[in-house]
Amino acid sequence: MIQDKVRGLQEVVASIPEGAHVALGGFAVSGCPIAFVHEMIRQRRGRLTLSQAVGGMDTDLLVGAGLVETLIFGGGSLDRAGLLNQVNEAILRGTIRVLEQSSLAITLRYHAGALGIPYIPTRTLLGSEMLEPLVEAGEVEVAEDPFEGQRIVRLRALQPDVAVLVVQMADRQGNCRILGPTWDNLEKARAARRTVVLAEELVDEEEFRKAPEGTTLSGLYVDAVVPLRFSAYPTACYRKYDYDFDHLRRYATLAQTEEGFTQYLEEYVLGTSDHEGYLCRIGEERLRDLRADPERGY
Amino acid sequence: MSGRQEYSPSEMMVVAASRLLRDGETVLVGLGLPQLACLLAKATHAPRLRMVLEIGVLEPEPVDPAIGIADPRLWYRATCHTSFTETLGILLQGGRIDVGFLGGAQVDRFGNINSTHVCENGRPVRRFRGSGGACDIAALAGRVIIITPHERRRFPERVDFCTSPGFLQGGRSREAAGLRGGPVHVITDLAVMGFDAETREMRLVSVHPGVDPAAVQEATGFPLAWAGEARTTPPPAPEELEILRNRVDPHGWYLR
Repeated sequence: MIQDKVRGLQEVVASIPEGAHVALGGFAVSGCPIAFVHEMIRQRRGRLTLSQAVGGMDTDLLVGAGLVETLIFGGGSLDRAGLLNQVNEAILRGTIRVLEQSSLAITLRYHAGALGIPYIPTRTLLGSEMLEPLVEAGEVEVAEDPFEGQRIVRLRALQPDVAVLVVQMADRQGNCRILGPTWDNLEKARAARRTVVLAEELVDEEEFRKAPEGTTLSGLYVDAVVPLRFSAYPTACYRKYDYDFDHLRRYATLAQTEEGFTQYLEEYVLGTSDHEGYLCRIGEERLRDLRADPERGY
Repeated sequence: MSGRQEYSPSEMMVVAASRLLRDGETVLVGLGLPQLACLLAKATHAPRLRMVLEIGVLEPEPVDPAIGIADPRLWYRATCHTSFTETLGILLQGGRIDVGFLGGAQVDRFGNINSTHVCENGRPVRRFRGSGGACDIAALAGRVIIITPHERRRFPERVDFCTSPGFLQGGRSREAAGLRGGPVHVITDLAVMGFDAETREMRLVSVHPGVDPAAVQEATGFPLAWAGEARTTPPPAPEELEILRNRVDPHGWYLR
């Protein structure tokens, strides 16, 4: 009997323990698992370690809500909508611990985690001031390549407890079709002990069997499939819907202050019972306007 | 006709950058002026130039203005959608990227770039975007071209935080750290700079037409090495401006 991995969002979030290492799928204004993050905030899952190569609105919300202890990332922004104001403030005030590195370093660390090896060598980070704090934290080590004698960096493997991605299509066994560039998402999904996908569309397994070459992430790596529409809103989901620039701008402006951020949370997260309640607050008309043009993908 | 063509400082920057790209090269490029420089080069002397976006997009042909590299508008009509493992790992670290374009909040005398935070009294007081792929590009591209507005606060003697390594402390310190390549040119709205082959200090290559070399020094927080009389950057040719305005940025999204 094949396991049905379809789960509800509240149930999945309730299964994530305090202090977990969560790898988020977003990159700035694309593919952020916003529905998941909102539910984490409603259920107050705290003391988290977050990791991702480039932070987006997903990271900023969780850090702003005070649920994050450690951030492993390469920086991030909301592109021209603004900076990650809550993340930046928390780092400057020292209320979270940050282990900053480059996008390649993080991606390779997930890859090592996926391969089941303790570390992976790279040529990046040398000469950067990000290197020293990482060495002190025991995350990386500068070494000599045993074959050519060159200076290299050994990156410690990353194995998140949970990876969370937004995907365009999944079946009940967790096979996924992810459209568009995938940045570090496949690497973190394969490295994590558990992977959760928020699927914009749930399709029959037969669709995958008819064209297995189109499967970008095998269900072998996926533990839970949460069917949800607009799970990345107000960030974009390529070929499904565009980002909502006005909403992102409003968020970025409000998130510059504690009061503004709290107001945003009250209005869109704590003041809504679940993801459908949030979408209701945005309005069907707005969501319809953001639907992607099939040819352009946005 | 006076023969004098009017153009904006950003147009001068894009034209100067495009001329530094060679046909057949592969360029790791960000949004905005670097992207326009590549498109201009492709439309003029480098039709076989290949563009790579770090997010995992190869050779895109966007038609709408994007707000960043995570904007699907910038992914339009690409030849391939892939991952960081391929763009930053296999293409960049594997040695297949000829040119990387970088900007940043600060660039110092030795071409080190800061995009992480600035300090006051030794403490970080303002944060920006951080590295993303910038450290990777600075460490691993064949050569790096830096594009930034020319303001004194952006050109300190020493960056507050080295996100992306240039020539570190100068001389052979970059090689000693285990890195090859490095920054080759810095393009601003006032001038084009390069780096001394021995000391690796930033030096003036040319000032843009109408710019006083003293004004370039005034807008720089360290003494700019000076190779005799400063040359003038050749101004944009009429056909370059025509292509920029009518084909590369027809709606003036980036150049106005």
